[in-house]
Amino acid sequence: MSLLSSIQPDQMRRVTIAQGHSVASRDLDLVYTTVLGSCVAVCLYDSAARVGGINHFLLADPAPINGESGQLLNRYGIHAMELLINEMIKRGAARDRLRARVYGGGSMRQGLGDIGTQNIAFARRFLANEGIPILGEDVGGTSARRVEFMPAYGRARCKSIQGMVAEQQPVPVSAPCGDVELF
Amino acid sequence: MAKKILTVDDSPSMRMLLKSALLEQGFEVFEAEDGVDALEKLDGAEPDLVITDINMPRMDGFGLITALRDGRVRSSLPILVLTTEASDEKKARARNAGATGWIVKPFDRDKLGAAIRRVLH
Repeated sequence: MSLLSSIQPDQMRRVTIAQGHSVASRDLDLVYTTVLGSCVAVCLYDSAARVGGINHFLLADPAPINGESGQLLNRYGIHAMELLINEMIKRGAARDRLRARVYGGGSMRQGLGDIGTQNIAFARRFLANEGIPILGEDVGGTSARRVEFMPAYGRARCKSIQGMVAEQQPVPVSAPCGDVELF
Repeated sequence: MAKKILTVDDSPSMRMLLKSALLEQGFEVFEAEDGVDALEKLDGAEPDLVITDINMPRMDGFGLITALRDGRVRSSLPILVLTTEASDEKKARARNAGATGWIVKPFDRDKLGAAIRRVLH
């Protein structure tokens, strides 16, 4: 019997991943869950180390500050992904064994639609740059999604949610920005 | 003459971002993808400053700082750590290994530039 077939779904521990969070685990009884509108979640898995992780981010292109709005989006996105990769590596994953799944980036309402598309584009571009293959995606469209990810098994499930889902506003990926301490 | 900086990070995206920030501020940049690669790149090409990540495969930032302070480069070479880590314990470890400073990602271009100019005098 495989590890996965021995799972009792009702005995799993469920942890909800809020926007701005990046987590990874090897716990056999853990399910990460998150609800996505325009936000994107990237699930990473290393099948040799049996470590999985997920993040949940929404990169908004803010009003240009010194003409570098695109760079700002890029910087926070790279940070969100790096936090996730670091969590994976701390638990024994190897960068060259990582495989990804990408979810979310829906067009939830007028005006925010482009944000979802930009977030999908960012995730794909980042993963390509890092040489991390994308094994599966469920992105775009107009409905919200619920993602469930079992980190120890690398197994993800994504369902569309009909009806209204409160759309989140972008929040900064990380509060302390660029703190400098010289010794 | 432009000051030369070696950046060490295992993420190509982060290296690209850092390089563009440093070039914009008039520095010369060469890159390594982890501590082992950095030691190879430093062979015969000493920079004015090293900026290194902590979490990297093969040799992490702590290993690199320790190796560099073990007489491989001039003792006055500044080494800045640029990492997502912010714990006091890790900061202390880097300081004890011989790091010059600690910067938390995501970095701010202006703060990074100011810190670099300060350690370069």
